[in-house]
Amino acid sequence: MPDEKEIIQIFDRGGVKLARVRSDSILQESEVESFGRALIALAEVPGTRVVLSFLGVRQLTSLVLGKLILAHKRLVESGGELRLADIDPHIYEMFAITHLDRLFRIFEREDEAIASYHAAPEA
Amino acid sequence: MPSSSPETDSRSDWTEKVLPTRLELIRDAEPEVLGRLRELGYSEDQRFAVRLAFEEAMVNAMKHGNRMDPALHVVLNYRILPDRIEIRVRDEGPGFEPHLVPDPTCDENLNRPCGRGIMLMRSYMDEISYAYEGREVCMVKYRKREGGSA
Repeated sequence: MPDEKEIIQIFDRGGVKLARVRSDSILQESEVESFGRALIALAEVPGTRVVLSFLGVRQLTSLVLGKLILAHKRLVESGGELRLADIDPHIYEMFAITHLDRLFRIFEREDEAIASYHAAPEA
Repeated sequence: MPSSSPETDSRSDWTEKVLPTRLELIRDAEPEVLGRLRELGYSEDQRFAVRLAFEEAMVNAMKHGNRMDPALHVVLNYRILPDRIEIRVRDEGPGFEPHLVPDPTCDENLNRPCGRGIMLMRSYMDEISYAYEGREVCMVKYRKREGGSA
């Protein structure tokens, strides 16, 4: 069972780590730190492929975007990748404004994001 | 406080809160502000924008302005009018020059974890300016009726 204090719950989906946010907001400092810690910890295993689902998340701040970028960097450095899914339209707009929609691969649903790791690589 | 800001305003419209530098206190003022916006008919999109800009301004003031020094304070002033909300957030730090903050959307900066708060505030609010050598940010959001007119 995950620690009740952790804001992210992680599942294994056929070799892909599915990380789901367990709150409708990531605002408090403790939540932001927990969020960043959980994602960066996934990079400790080289080559980890991660899907982060924001299903139900309605509020976050730029501090969360910063944690996402750090986690993305760590994962890429260790041969892994971070893909995103289930992003609320308001939150997606934040990604678009800051051009992070260019940095991350973003999918409508988590199952699409998971399947994308198993798809044939693009030519 | 507003009376010491560059503009001259009626002080009676304004609400002032002085907060110690503790991030968990940021949301103390939010319910009051957002509830009043809802009463006045501000749309969900507009309330999202105001809440986000408010959060970003307060976090910037505490983290980058006051460097999380618990001995320093953040002064929040706001007034909510039928046609607009004005928010001013001032810290007690050394100030900064907003135009020197790197553009986080440039390709070379996309991987930098910082610098997006200011961009989000600019994008979501209708007016934004700085006073007191960057220690105070002043933001305005107009209430737009359906159809887009202010």
